[in-house]
Amino acid sequence: MGSWLDETLTWGNALLFFLWGVILLAIVLGFVTYAIFFERKVIGWMQFRIGPNRVGPWGLLQSVADIAKLLMKEDTIPRKADRALFILAPALAYVPAFAVLAVIPYTQKLYFADINVGLLYYVALSGISTIAIVLGGWSSNNKYALLGGMRSAAQMISYEVPLVISVVGVIMMSGSLNLRTIADQQGDWFWQWNFLPQIIGFVVFVIAAVSELNRTPFDLPEAESELVAGYHVEYSGFRFAFFMLTEYVYVYAIAALTTVLFLGGWHAPFPFLDWVPGIIWFLLKFSFIVFFLFWIRATLPRIRIDQLMGLGWKVLLPVAILNVFLTAVYLELFVK
Amino acid sequence: MIRTEELLLNVGPQHPSTHGVFRIIVKLDGEVITEATPVMGYLHRGTEKLAEDLNYTQIIPYTDRMDYVSAMTTNYVLCHGVEKMMGLEVPERAEFMRLIVMELQRIASHLVWWGTYLLDIGAMSPFLFAFRDREIIINLFNELCGARLTYNYMRVGGVKWDAPVGWIDKVREFIPYMESKLDEYHRLVSGNEIFLARIRGVGAYDAQTAIDYGLSGANLRSTGVDWDLRKAKPYSIYNRFEFDVPLGKNGDCYDRYLIRLEEIRQSLRILKQAVEQFPSSGDVMGKVPRVIRPPAGELYVGIESPRGEIGVHIVSKGKAEPYRLKFRRPSFVNLQILPKLLVGETMTNLITILGGIDIVVGEVDC
Amino acid sequence: MKGLLKGLGVTLKSLTDKKVTTSYPDVPITMPDRYRGIQHFEPDKCIVCNQCARICPTECITLTGKANPDPEKKGKVIDTYDINFEICILCDLCTEVCPTEAIVMTGNFELASYSRDELFKDLKWLDDNNSNVRQDNNNIGAPAAAKGGAK
Repeated sequence: MGSWLDETLTWGNALLFFLWGVILLAIVLGFVTYAIFFERKVIGWMQFRIGPNRVGPWGLLQSVADIAKLLMKEDTIPRKADRALFILAPALAYVPAFAVLAVIPYTQKLYFADINVGLLYYVALSGISTIAIVLGGWSSNNKYALLGGMRSAAQMISYEVPLVISVVGVIMMSGSLNLRTIADQQGDWFWQWNFLPQIIGFVVFVIAAVSELNRTPFDLPEAESELVAGYHVEYSGFRFAFFMLTEYVYVYAIAALTTVLFLGGWHAPFPFLDWVPGIIWFLLKFSFIVFFLFWIRATLPRIRIDQLMGLGWKVLLPVAILNVFLTAVYLELFVK
Repeated sequence: MIRTEELLLNVGPQHPSTHGVFRIIVKLDGEVITEATPVMGYLHRGTEKLAEDLNYTQIIPYTDRMDYVSAMTTNYVLCHGVEKMMGLEVPERAEFMRLIVMELQRIASHLVWWGTYLLDIGAMSPFLFAFRDREIIINLFNELCGARLTYNYMRVGGVKWDAPVGWIDKVREFIPYMESKLDEYHRLVSGNEIFLARIRGVGAYDAQTAIDYGLSGANLRSTGVDWDLRKAKPYSIYNRFEFDVPLGKNGDCYDRYLIRLEEIRQSLRILKQAVEQFPSSGDVMGKVPRVIRPPAGELYVGIESPRGEIGVHIVSKGKAEPYRLKFRRPSFVNLQILPKLLVGETMTNLITILGGIDIVVGEVDC
Repeated sequence: MKGLLKGLGVTLKSLTDKKVTTSYPDVPITMPDRYRGIQHFEPDKCIVCNQCARICPTECITLTGKANPDPEKKGKVIDTYDINFEICILCDLCTEVCPTEAIVMTGNFELASYSRDELFKDLKWLDDNNSNVRQDNNNIGAPAAAKGGAK
């Protein structure tokens, strides 16, 4: 599939690419709809509730109804808001969230763009969303939104650094920034996947990734008990929906990225299970990470902003650098 | 030089973490608070003034609505004050009923506090855990007096209802259940490193400050001052039961947290003894004159509510209505220390500290 | 780290625990007998003693009586009886003082309406509100034998 990208660009090809983009968009939207549904279900079960069950069979249409409600809601723009930026921010947040999905490989054959700096592309683009969140907070002209936006800027910049450095170990081991190569090079047995050899990097990556997602326990930008709703406090209707959508598309992206980088992508945990299609393994690992995100959301309290910064700069960053160093030493001594 | 401006932020009256309609105007320098001014009165209903036109029985439903999380203790303090003034005898069975409902109420109130406090700190499951167990107590009360929140259960000279058949057994069954759930709470939250980092050392003050500000309840005991009116000035029949008063050391939010959870365990201990000693028969209403007219004079009684010392000061001119009725509301008094604690803290700690004080706005504004 | 994992264990365990959600309003909630819901009023029992209106802390009860239409009998009969549920706090004091149990509590509690006017309930409405009527009404001052006590 990825090889099509190498062909000369014709109208037919362009249409094909566009169609694939639309299909991916539909898949992602479907994922977001049901991720929200299952998040509410799972958290409900963990809290002795049964979660949404009123709309459609077993409540399956609950998220659809919520989205329909958001789309029909009045779009309010505060009078004193910076109108242009206020309108721009949700779109700006969403576009990179969707664009990073291009480099995720799902199986050996199923992937969209085969970029040899795929990982760098992912990290670089996802940084743009920070700007959008700051813009949203700033342009709302609301003090809570401003505080949320500022927190978000500080948080996402601080955690981007350990996030990138934590995967350097993986890059060194596989010698490539291409996500397909990285996934492909992980071994057949599950202990050969990167998460065990790179256990330090894996832990740092997971913590930094959750923080990048602005999810509990790092949901300070929207900390509803302090900042009411943080950066999107003034947003309503579909603009608010876009921010929500961004958050969940990043959940999708991070879960997929973790699977590819650390959990062996489409590999089966044991070679004798190879007859199960790779996409199934990918989805299983992917779902586990998504479930893990819901699970910690149901359990953990929120960390404080100064502790968040301390954790990022004083713990995660040194540990991530140490991991790079250790990997280098290991590669030099044993592999070369 | 960078010129920074202070940000005037209005927290409340509509804010998820002010526990009702309470408002704090904070001056922020970045995220650090330089000044905090609490504004209250959004829930003021003039209970004390209304009481001057009502007879004592009629005031009881109003006391339900002051500390609506712990209506039984507020019920009790008024009845207790009037009884003391008139020198009325309360039958033994009634005293037992009162004690049992008050201790159940203390557990229910601390559960609400625990759940909402964790919600403030950002964990949402504990809230549901707490409310699941509180629901059992509320259902017990519903069976006993026909209401789930505003009980109007106590009367001058006794209680309105005797326990229905099997009610005491339900309380007995509840005790071991709650003990096991308390352990679950500790497993879920108390050891959590994020939680500890959030509340340890936050909002600390020393014993002298606490006394100077007139704090009571867990807010006072967290500094190590051993002052629980159930022990210090026993009322009702508390002196018949064995229980400990949990004390803190550092006077921070973490100590207050542990004290409140430990108080649940101690309440269960009292309940366990109370249901064993519960008299098998007897009246629940003493001999009370048809119209309650306390003799002219003044009287103050204070009891230990879940939030601290709740007191009532009755000024009577010998009529059926009080000349003046003043409630000492622990939430209101404890709140005094808030502006002092907030200076120099971050916005996040504002929520932690305010939640740690445990206010009920109905009681603050009265 | 240990504390975090313990907490995660608790939430994972509760994933399969019994759920406490009720199906209200699909399945109506039955309140215990003593529940203090909307009052039921029986005009035939009322002796127009006015005690309920006097004890009401919020003064939400207004009633008027008229001379007994049967000239043989003395006393009054009830003419109008209104409770304003905008201010009624369902405190139970009116039923507590009623000497004839003309006004009693019921287990019904659904009062929500689209208009404030609908909260003003008159004699007829209160008379018709006769489901789930409380059996054990008032035991203050009642003879000891009538009490349904524990044990």
